Amino acid sequence: MVENEHLIDLKHISKEYDGVKVLDDINLYIRKKEFVTLLGPSGCGKTTTLRIIGGFETPSSGEVFFEGQEISALPPYKRRVNTVFQKYALFPHLNVHDNIAFGLKLKKMDRKEIDRRVDYMLELVNLKGYGKRRTDALSGGQQQRVAIARSLVNEPEVLLLDEPLGALDLKLRKEMQLELKRMQQRLGITFLYVTHDQEEALTMSDTIVVMREGKILQIGDPKHIYDEPANAFVADFIGESNILRGTMIHDELVRFAEQDFPCVDFGFGENAPVDVVIRPEDVMLVGEDVGQLTGTIQSVLFKGVHYEMMIDTGAYTFKVHSTTMQPQGSRVGLSIVPFNIHIMKPMEGFRKEEETGEV
Amino acid sequence: MRYDVTLPWWAWVLMGLGLAAFAAMVVVSVRRNRGVKRSLFAAPYTLWMIIFTIVPLIIIVYYALTDASGNFTLNNLRDFWDSNYSRRAGASSPAIQARLAARGMSNMEPLLYSLWMAFLCTVICLVLAYPTALFMADRRMKRASSLVILFVVPMWMNVTLRTYAMRILMVDDGPLINFLRLIGFADAQLMDTPTAVLIGMVYNFLPFMIFPIYTVLSKLDPALLEASSDLGASPGRSLIKVTMPLSIPGVVSGITMVFMPAVTTFTLNVMLGGSKRLMLGNLIEQTFTKQNNWNMGSAMSLVMMVLILISLTILRKADPNNEGGGL
Repeated sequence: MVENEHLIDLKHISKEYDGVKVLDDINLYIRKKEFVTLLGPSGCGKTTTLRIIGGFETPSSGEVFFEGQEISALPPYKRRVNTVFQKYALFPHLNVHDNIAFGLKLKKMDRKEIDRRVDYMLELVNLKGYGKRRTDALSGGQQQRVAIARSLVNEPEVLLLDEPLGALDLKLRKEMQLELKRMQQRLGITFLYVTHDQEEALTMSDTIVVMREGKILQIGDPKHIYDEPANAFVADFIGESNILRGTMIHDELVRFAEQDFPCVDFGFGENAPVDVVIRPEDVMLVGEDVGQLTGTIQSVLFKGVHYEMMIDTGAYTFKVHSTTMQPQGSRVGLSIVPFNIHIMKPMEGFRKEEETGEV
Repeated sequence: MRYDVTLPWWAWVLMGLGLAAFAAMVVVSVRRNRGVKRSLFAAPYTLWMIIFTIVPLIIIVYYALTDASGNFTLNNLRDFWDSNYSRRAGASSPAIQARLAARGMSNMEPLLYSLWMAFLCTVICLVLAYPTALFMADRRMKRASSLVILFVVPMWMNVTLRTYAMRILMVDDGPLINFLRLIGFADAQLMDTPTAVLIGMVYNFLPFMIFPIYTVLSKLDPALLEASSDLGASPGRSLIKVTMPLSIPGVVSGITMVFMPAVTTFTLNVMLGGSKRLMLGNLIEQTFTKQNNWNMGSAMSLVMMVLILISLTILRKADPNNEGGGL
């Protein structure tokens, strides 16, 4: 599916606004037909990165390459890239058909050919027969589709999408996620997608780029990012986690929550401070007498598929997801298999459990 | 005492009824809502409008449709088109008058002159204002705000004073004329020419064209221009295909705000044009003051109001949602 040839290369990209660094030495490549997602909290620089590729911003330093050609200074209208904007940015003075035809008309294409392509696009995004409608008479989801059609009709090499599903309700968002992924595979176009929604990123991407404060923290496929987060921040941002401070006593033995646990990680040295990440679904509830830890159930929340329980062991309050429920106040044992204990180097400035002992 | 306001009994009854209806409205509104409603805040203005807008309008209509002794007649409106009238008004030059009399269209000359001057003024204002507004609305221009002040400050000064300042600039021995003569225009003259009137009109009305356009442009979503560029439009194409169509409401509003006062202006013609050619406003003014013919003057005002109303209605069609914040 994804080809090996690099389509876009970002080399040492930095961006400053009035002396404030929003991007700090970004290096990234995007391959042909790849679905890449830039993921991170707001203000992490993901949208700026996208806008630099789109040509709306110029990097303070560093270069952008497109198929090996440097394009850092090229204006947007000369790039073979199209963007789906966060708030769609449909032209209010044009109807649906003319919005989609905007790019083709600029290329002075034959009228009949334009109509044919626009109709094909309308069909592709399930809006057949909507050509004559005013854009402000459409629902959010429909406007979204028009915006996507307006970009795709130009057959760009790369489609940039800036949180395109942010304004839609949950059900519509899930539908559109699948629809976008299907479109991307069918048309064989490279997608660069920006979102702060980790679930969206996991569902759609071939590659996820996790960003924070203008830096890339980790690049990898969704499973890799979820199972092997590079640090506590990635672990916390991708899915829910228990993040504890621990000490690596020696290889394959870690101490946290006042207990020693066998684990599978090594190479941290002896008695080294580390971050320990454990997913809530990886903490098993067992009998009080056989658990590695014992604790009291403080609260129980029904979450649909599972229950979410907060379990206080004295040293730490674990968040636990389980399909079976134990009543509030009861004593339980907790057990964690070595494979599910993720050890990572402690991260500067990310210590949110430190003060309270809770996540 | 013929021209004291001696309205017939029915006109007074009409006004009385209007005021009574207004009072009733207030009372009913207070009672129904058991207290003061928001809409009541508009009451002082409504009262003001009834007294100083509705009543004078009724008076104008009354005078336009009666003769000197107060009998109903349509003669004033007919006389408006009558050639004899302009001779009595002592209007334009004898040559023009003779020509007009032959054609039988005396009031047409000042009327058409007014419309033509207003049209020219509007076009020039539009041509000057649009690029200025574009510049002022450009977010990248940090100095643009000082330009806004440049246009606002002269408006703090009285129109008449401003126009006197223009006279000083344009008089025969003034700096502008001397400069023109210096660069080879030996016969250069501005004072008392239509050009001077036009310059004065453009100077006075330009801000009314700039601001509505500026308002619309500064509200334009920058993402639309990014989208246009993204889809392959050069800055020039974006201007034509996105910015201009979306700024039509502001343009319409600007045209309205310039054209209306331009048609009715008469002080500028007196001060800068030396009243050599009469405009409709001068004609009306003279009919009231020099001829003391209130009936005829009212009829002419009525015609002018109808003309403005028609042009407003046409313009309204281009901006149905009133996005330009026009009148």
